Amino acid sequence: MKHTLMFFVQLFFLYAIYQVSNYIVRFLDIPLPASVLGMILLYILLRNGTVQLRYIEVAASFLLKHLSLFFIPIAIGLMDYGGLIKTSGIQLFVMIAASSFIGLFVTGGFTQFLSTKKVQKEENYHEQSHSH
Amino acid sequence: MNSLTLINILLTIIIYMGARKLAHRFPSPFTIPILTTTIIMICIFHFSGISYDAYTPAKEWITALLGPATVALAVPLYKNKDIIKQKLMPAIVGLIIGTLSSIVSAVWLSRAFHLSENIQAASAVKAVTTPVAIETVQIIGGDPTLAAALVVASGLFGAIFGPALLTMMNISEPFSRGLSIGTVSHAIGTSQIMGEGPIQGGVSSVAMGAAAIITPVILSVLYQFL
Repeated sequence: MKHTLMFFVQLFFLYAIYQVSNYIVRFLDIPLPASVLGMILLYILLRNGTVQLRYIEVAASFLLKHLSLFFIPIAIGLMDYGGLIKTSGIQLFVMIAASSFIGLFVTGGFTQFLSTKKVQKEENYHEQSHSH
Repeated sequence: MNSLTLINILLTIIIYMGARKLAHRFPSPFTIPILTTTIIMICIFHFSGISYDAYTPAKEWITALLGPATVALAVPLYKNKDIIKQKLMPAIVGLIIGTLSSIVSAVWLSRAFHLSENIQAASAVKAVTTPVAIETVQIIGGDPTLAAALVVASGLFGAIFGPALLTMMNISEPFSRGLSIGTVSHAIGTSQIMGEGPIQGGVSSVAMGAAAIITPVILSVLYQFL
């Protein structure tokens, strides 16, 4: 019972951050989705210690565990694109597949190459400093 | 709330719960709950003659949690702040070049396939999260509904095939895996890679946010030259 109550209080808190971000985005006309701004806001609050992890962790881990559920109603919207899928479905699939493949390869490849190179350099540095 | 809305909400949740059990029992990219639930729901609507419009009220109830859920992504971000700080430069380089390459390849492929100007514009924004895609596509003269459909389709693609493709390309380091999924397949990909580990999930949500910030900037400058 206490657990359930805590869950709803935490959920309400996360929702409140989202609503505040909504107002900020609309009021200042920022070209960013309110949810992403809310994520940045909550991060800042966690960083400066205003909000502690335990204040939000129950609701946050529930929401993140079921994150994909909240996208399902949007994905069902693809049912209205039967006509387009019939006429150009194959081209669309190839376009999405190829450009996702390229995007994943370039992003992941660069990041992995640059970050492991950096780590190796640091390891070499440590080895050298040990041998001195 | 009327009874059809309530039934639609319950139906979505029950099928989703069943889909989670199925995915647990038979783990595979093709049994991920977002895919199986979506297919089953579309079949049910198709055979019972319910339109997507009739489902809209239920959709609004469920997606109301999308805002707070995205806000909650700050938690894995916070827990992984040290590794992100440590790899900030590689991450920024990977993110910018990766976003550019996925935009350019999508637009050029759409043109090579003689897809309409509308689809070309929508393909340019397919890698960012829906609200940003809808706003950005209007800057470059495309249709928001079509953009939303392509965003979902490419998110699903990334969720289903992304992790396996990364493994195939020898991208094994958790940080880089999370970063590329978030950059290319936004929140739908993030919801999937979250299950692989907290680093992947945290980094993926940062990358999704960052891609949402840089894509409109890149496109408003670059799109006319593509």
